[in-house]
Amino acid sequence: MSSSDAGPIRDNPVVVTGVGAVTALGQSAAETWSGLLSGEEGIRPIEGFNVEGFGCKLAAQVRGLDPEALGLHSKAARIMDTHSFMLMKCAKEAFAEARLDAAPFVEDEIGFFAGMGMVDYRIDDLVPAVVASKDRDGGLDMEAFYSSGYEAIYSLIILYTLNNVSLCQAAIELKIRGENAVFSPHADSGAYAIAEAVQTLAAGRAEAVLAGGVSEKVSPFGLARAHLQGNLNTVGAGGAALCRPFGADRRGTILGEGCGILALESRASADKRGVPYAAMITGWGSAFGCEEDFNAPTTDAIARAMKTALQSATLSPSDIDLLIAHGDGTSMGDRNEFRAVHEVFANSLDRVVVFSSKGALGHLLAGAPAVDAIMGFSMLTEGIIPAALHCAPVDQSVKFRVITKKPVQASPRRLMVNCRSDRGQCASLILEAAR
Amino acid sequence: MVITGYGMVTPLGRNTEETFQRASQGESGIDTIRSFDTQGLPCRIGGEVDDSWLDGFEDSNIRKLEKFSSRGLKLMIVAAREAVRQARLDEVAERENIGVSLGSHGDNPPVEEVMFLHSFYDGDGQWDIESLLQAGGYSYLQFFRRKPDVAAAILSAAFECRGSNLSIVSACSAGAQAIGEAFRLIRAGRAKAMLAGGCEATVDFVGLAGFVLIKALAERYTAPKKASRPFDRKRCGFVLSEGAGALVLEELEHARSRGAAILGELLGYGDSADAYRITDTHPKGEGAILAMKAALEDASLAPPDVDYINAHGTSTQQNDATETLAIKEVFGERAKTIPVSSNKSMLGHTIAAAGAIESILTLVGMSRSVILPTINYEFPDPKCDLDYVPNAARQMGHRVALSNSFGFGGQNACLCLGKFVEQRS
Repeated sequence: MSSSDAGPIRDNPVVVTGVGAVTALGQSAAETWSGLLSGEEGIRPIEGFNVEGFGCKLAAQVRGLDPEALGLHSKAARIMDTHSFMLMKCAKEAFAEARLDAAPFVEDEIGFFAGMGMVDYRIDDLVPAVVASKDRDGGLDMEAFYSSGYEAIYSLIILYTLNNVSLCQAAIELKIRGENAVFSPHADSGAYAIAEAVQTLAAGRAEAVLAGGVSEKVSPFGLARAHLQGNLNTVGAGGAALCRPFGADRRGTILGEGCGILALESRASADKRGVPYAAMITGWGSAFGCEEDFNAPTTDAIARAMKTALQSATLSPSDIDLLIAHGDGTSMGDRNEFRAVHEVFANSLDRVVVFSSKGALGHLLAGAPAVDAIMGFSMLTEGIIPAALHCAPVDQSVKFRVITKKPVQASPRRLMVNCRSDRGQCASLILEAAR
Repeated sequence: MVITGYGMVTPLGRNTEETFQRASQGESGIDTIRSFDTQGLPCRIGGEVDDSWLDGFEDSNIRKLEKFSSRGLKLMIVAAREAVRQARLDEVAERENIGVSLGSHGDNPPVEEVMFLHSFYDGDGQWDIESLLQAGGYSYLQFFRRKPDVAAAILSAAFECRGSNLSIVSACSAGAQAIGEAFRLIRAGRAKAMLAGGCEATVDFVGLAGFVLIKALAERYTAPKKASRPFDRKRCGFVLSEGAGALVLEELEHARSRGAAILGELLGYGDSADAYRITDTHPKGEGAILAMKAALEDASLAPPDVDYINAHGTSTQQNDATETLAIKEVFGERAKTIPVSSNKSMLGHTIAAAGAIESILTLVGMSRSVILPTINYEFPDPKCDLDYVPNAARQMGHRVALSNSFGFGGQNACLCLGKFVEQRS
């Protein structure tokens, strides 16, 4: 084992041999891609709970996810929820597409890294304990609560609420025993998962790695949290609140559900196994810096993540044909991102085109970078860039071209995916068509 | 890769020195829980940190962030300040080259909060949000306190670390994984130094009740200080504790060029998944075996090079037996001659902080030629037949150690630590 893992990633490129995706636009990468191309709306009125009282009543929820089709035992499913089902489904699909079940790797040569959102308490797991401990006036009898009422708490609540359990369940299902970690909870964590997979492969610590991320379930807790952080669009336009990345009248973001998992492997290994691939990951970067009010990363931090990614890919800004921006429709976040893009791409602003998926898919948090990367692979292979929904009219200060209205034919060879946390963590990935 | 600073706050002490001193005397930090009423619960003990030790927000640059901070983060600020001061990290001008990697989970909701929320819930999936908001709403701050990225971000803001910023949430292995991931970032040339570690503060009603409900905690104990008894036949579960541990990891040349004191080396990191069951560790310890072997391979070392093993040793029947099996599998005949001890016998289980605290105690032990004991070792278990350094610290020179951390769900991490020796590097 070398003492240093430094050195260009492209010397031993990491290729994508399988993908799994679930979004509001479909139960697969292909469905999501065709939905994006046809300009489908993933953002719709929230279903599943009463949204009266919430300022934002829209989200891009995944519908029709069938846990039974995943072949899960009901006991295992009890400590799972939408996020776990999505992760399980995508992991299985990426694993199968990469033919890892038939690969000559032993179990501990396959790694698994994921970004996971917050896993909130299900109030239903706690409420029975409260109900069992009520006094005559409807208040809480603390003595009853502490002595026996607590036994009515759902017994596996600890396991349900640990963010790492979903990854462990998928690892059990697929018999993955190698390197692993769970990062949380924002978009940057999904990118770190992919970056760590690339590092792990480069250093030879695994033969193949599953990596990506999954969003939170859209729940009352998650929606309340997003409201309280002040980044949701609660204003609306003609009765509908929309997510408008880089839009002149952007008013905030909209939550989405979704997951993306990539099966990654060194090109040499994929060639040896005869597994097809069309794209590779050649760079990544990350940085930290947040605004005074703790509500967006600084322009400097977003720019540093992009520059570091370019450096690690041994590319210059003018080599990048397409930027899949984080673009979440927040006022300050998008402003800082377009300023960072202006800074980094100063000499090729007329060349780079920009796309954001969030107008259609909502904000997938930890799931966003992997889903964006998977959509990016389709853009590389199919030579077409979908329109970014609801961006027009674009903010007058934006100096680059955002694809709006309709898809454009293009033949991008290299693209960058940006992502960030509102708290200041930023990350960028670089993807290329595999020659 | 070297360590130039460390810090901790634990049930045994407000810093590394105090914790190490008391641990080397075989003292226990476990006591009856004082911070909330445990009447009625079958486990009423834990390892708590004295509130008066939490002075981490004294510096004005982060005072305004205190309200966003979980108790776990407050512990971490104390530990990180000690580490940063020791490493003289403030002297480094290029702050972009310093990152943060934190293992943490955020606070549990207090009972009062569950009660408050309950009155706006119909018990069947529906909330009365309008009334909830009129009543003052669900606390803004509580939502923030559960978020791990908030903790990592505040830590970065507090110590001006502008490089990569990772939040790791791998249960009991989170602290060790956070250190391991930081190690890899530096090795990949992505940072010159990283502030890395873990923190946990879940000695609260929901935390305790949650672990009681999965029958993980020690309930049959004769006295609080006797409850955590790793590898002893009468062990019956772990003891929940709180604490934080922070290390400054640094590239050797970077540390040398600024004249930083070098306290030890991080030689390798290995991790694995059991892929067995969510609630049980693999009966043969296969995940643990993989993690230890991977850490050794990463360090370009072999089993005969290891002088000491800082065990995960939780004091549960299952962990201690399978960890013993795993050590025997990795080290073969030599296993019985290697000292193996569990700091959790004295500190309890600090979950996401454990890997960091235990790595630091291991480093300090190496530099002072002291092996910390496993206390409460009274009744030998035929399934646990290694040298657990029973009850008294041992004076013994040692240069290479492994520190194990195995998490719920089956995530395993192992750090290979070394005494700093000039010629090796």
